[in-house]
Amino acid sequence: MCSWRWWLPLLAASVRTLAGQEVPRLQARADSLAREWRRANALADMVDSLNHARAAGGTDTISVGALRIVTNPSPARLRQAAARAWPVIDSLYGTEARQLEQRPYLIAPYDPDTTSPKPMLRGAIQVPWDKDVASLVMILLTNVPIGRPDAALQNWLGGPVLPIVHPEPARAAVYVQLVTAPSQAARSCFLGVMSDCRTALALVDSPDPLRQWYPSAAEQRALVFKSFAEFLTFSDHGAHKPALQSCRAGSDSACRELLRSLPPGALPRPLTYDARAALVHLALRLGGREAYHRLVATPGKPIADRLAGAAGVSVDSLVSQWRSEILAARPAPVTVPPWGPWAALGWTAVFAVCALRSSRWRVS
Amino acid sequence: MFRVMLYSQWKWSRLIVALGSIAAFALPIVSVQGAARADSNPLRAGELLQAVQAWGTLYPVLAAALGLLVAIATWAPDHRGRHVHALSLPLPRWRYVLLRFGAGGTLLAAPVIAVAAGALLATWSATIPAGLQGYPVALAIRFALAVLVAYAVFFAVSAGTARTAGIMLGLIGGVILVQIIAGVANLDLDLFGKLQIVVLNWPGPLAIFSGRWMLIDV
Amino acid sequence: MTNAIEIHQLHYRAGRAFEIKQLDLNVPLGAIYGFLGPNGSGKTTTMRLVLGLLRPLAGRITVLGDAIPANAPRVLARVGFVPEQPHLDPTLTVRETLAFQAAFYPTWDWPWAERLLRQFELQERQPFGRLSKGQKGKLMMLLALAQRPELLVLDEPTDGLDPVVRRDVLSALLDYVSQRRATVFISSHLVHELERFCDWIGVMDNGRLITEVPMERFKNGLKRLRVTGAPPTAAAAPFIILAREHANGGAETWVVRDWEPEMAAYFATIGAALNDVIDLDLEEGFVELLRTFRGPRS
Repeated sequence: MCSWRWWLPLLAASVRTLAGQEVPRLQARADSLAREWRRANALADMVDSLNHARAAGGTDTISVGALRIVTNPSPARLRQAAARAWPVIDSLYGTEARQLEQRPYLIAPYDPDTTSPKPMLRGAIQVPWDKDVASLVMILLTNVPIGRPDAALQNWLGGPVLPIVHPEPARAAVYVQLVTAPSQAARSCFLGVMSDCRTALALVDSPDPLRQWYPSAAEQRALVFKSFAEFLTFSDHGAHKPALQSCRAGSDSACRELLRSLPPGALPRPLTYDARAALVHLALRLGGREAYHRLVATPGKPIADRLAGAAGVSVDSLVSQWRSEILAARPAPVTVPPWGPWAALGWTAVFAVCALRSSRWRVS
Repeated sequence: MFRVMLYSQWKWSRLIVALGSIAAFALPIVSVQGAARADSNPLRAGELLQAVQAWGTLYPVLAAALGLLVAIATWAPDHRGRHVHALSLPLPRWRYVLLRFGAGGTLLAAPVIAVAAGALLATWSATIPAGLQGYPVALAIRFALAVLVAYAVFFAVSAGTARTAGIMLGLIGGVILVQIIAGVANLDLDLFGKLQIVVLNWPGPLAIFSGRWMLIDV
Repeated sequence: MTNAIEIHQLHYRAGRAFEIKQLDLNVPLGAIYGFLGPNGSGKTTTMRLVLGLLRPLAGRITVLGDAIPANAPRVLARVGFVPEQPHLDPTLTVRETLAFQAAFYPTWDWPWAERLLRQFELQERQPFGRLSKGQKGKLMMLLALAQRPELLVLDEPTDGLDPVVRRDVLSALLDYVSQRRATVFISSHLVHELERFCDWIGVMDNGRLITEVPMERFKNGLKRLRVTGAPPTAAAAPFIILAREHANGGAETWVVRDWEPEMAAYFATIGAALNDVIDLDLEEGFVELLRTFRGPRS
């Protein structure tokens, strides 16, 4: 007990010394650790790459731009697919696409018509070798082996930054979301309120997402019954049923509490991945070949600032352009092509002529 | 000539046309009930689209049914008289067939107009959230074309003789046989799938029936 | 043009069972041509071929100077047709049926149609499907006559009608024919009926025309002869022997065609005696003709 009396003042003196003199040293140490971490990552990538290469020993390597595909010999039309996929990948990731030289795809085509064992390559994408080029392109674009961005960006986006295979239909789908999402912010964004566009895209940080994304009682009620009615009915052995009934009966507070009872991260953003992905793609397009690099190089900043930095324009301008693009992609409401009526009339005439040619009538 | 032909066919088709017109008028109105009422929440735009799309599946069904029934009714008097009267009339066969075809087609204007009127009334009376729009005219035009194609198909089938029917059944039987043989021989041949693509996709004969039938859409 | 209908070497086949082969038939202009034959002999088929409703395999048909079926629409505008079975739209009323028919015939005579309507006592608001058989028959004849045709093709128009209706229908027909000098090509089972007003007769059996002669010649030339002492084979007769039957006491009954009174001398040349010459009516002649055609017994 007695020794503690001596040690405590000593410890207090040490802490004071640390606080006053050791912070720069610790900072330097942290930077050093970060550098070591990056170097270790690079080494791990290299080992991974070597593992891939070893696993695919005696295989072909297809090379288009920086895109590498390690594959076993097969009739699969991977080279054509790579030739079509590379420009899309290159235009999205820009200079960062060079990473792919070190991160090859590992693809194991197999014969779909035999029962012989499929090639077993660890971590390889297995594809039947008779797949058409469009399907192979789709596989390449949805499995780009580029380094994942930081968690903040992925969390906001709802997944990795990947090429959009069909940008126009994707934007059309976002248009439909803007019109039909049970969110006043999304609807106001559609009508031209830019601040609501930022809210709908979850670009504004808030400690209370529910209040920010779905402020009105109507929105909250719509959300409960559109997205969570079934979940809330059956979760926790039906514990939420009374609250659900109160919400249905018109209790705003019951609706709000139901939404607050959802597991963390379960509250959906007003718009889906497609909307935010469209924004990211626009930023990368506007920012040029270094845009992706700039986007992933500043992981600590708010998402809005990172997107603005990547695009090289202000957030307002970026969101405004995004909205314009989405509105311009309004899907065609009627699924009949412009020449459809003529085709239908043509078929009508054909069938009418068939009736004329019936042997019942062909006397002369 | 056309007037008496029209009158004759009206007597055979009036029940079909009347019931079809009522259904055609009611369908667009019913499809926007609920989600598009004036007191409805504008946040329910998605529900409105779902409801409109769900009801929209009935338009091609109604068009096909009307085409079939009116085509059958068009030929009914001639079939009953074994075509003797028709063939003994002093006009070329093609002209007689066109008169019949035209008269049936004219009668089908009633349900088409009913769809147009119902669709206009429905979109006029509905509270459509911003971003959504009504397409009553486009829907009515599409319905008209679908009715016309269905009518022409069944008109041609109904005009055929037993021999023609035999040939058609033989062709269908042939396709089924080839498909069965291909299946047994483990050949990668999907004739029905290919046939479906050809028939139901543009510019296929029944493409007008496929796809979404939306009175209200984005 | 001397013939309203000319059929030359007509060939038609319906299925495997029935065939019209090498048919030659001529209906003189202005004649009332009775077309006789048993059921299934090809009368209706021939009439349909004449109207262009069926297409022949070979041969030539000319109606009112126009080729059939090439010019069928033009010909049909000048022809009134009463088919074997009523074929009109059963939902249309009598009045509506008249309006329907009138729309297709430029020569339609409304005043006369109205007169026939009254004469036949048809209720104009009654649907065709609810008319009695007799009323249907009258209406069919009305439709055929009101278009003022040059040729009437009547396929058993009085079949199944009661005598009163039959009389009305035929009387209207004869009125018209007498006014317009129209040609009539009529088939019927009622041979007695045809006997009264036809001036030409054609008999058909099994797709072939057995005979085609003026009515007077047919009737006058058909005789039943009572003969005695005739040898078993009677060679070189100037008439056609249709039937030869043994009677009591060695007598025989002969049914002959193309008989002329001066032919009685023939029997003396073969050592036989002609005891009696009996006239046959059309029906008897028709029956004997068919029996001969199908299998002569002598």
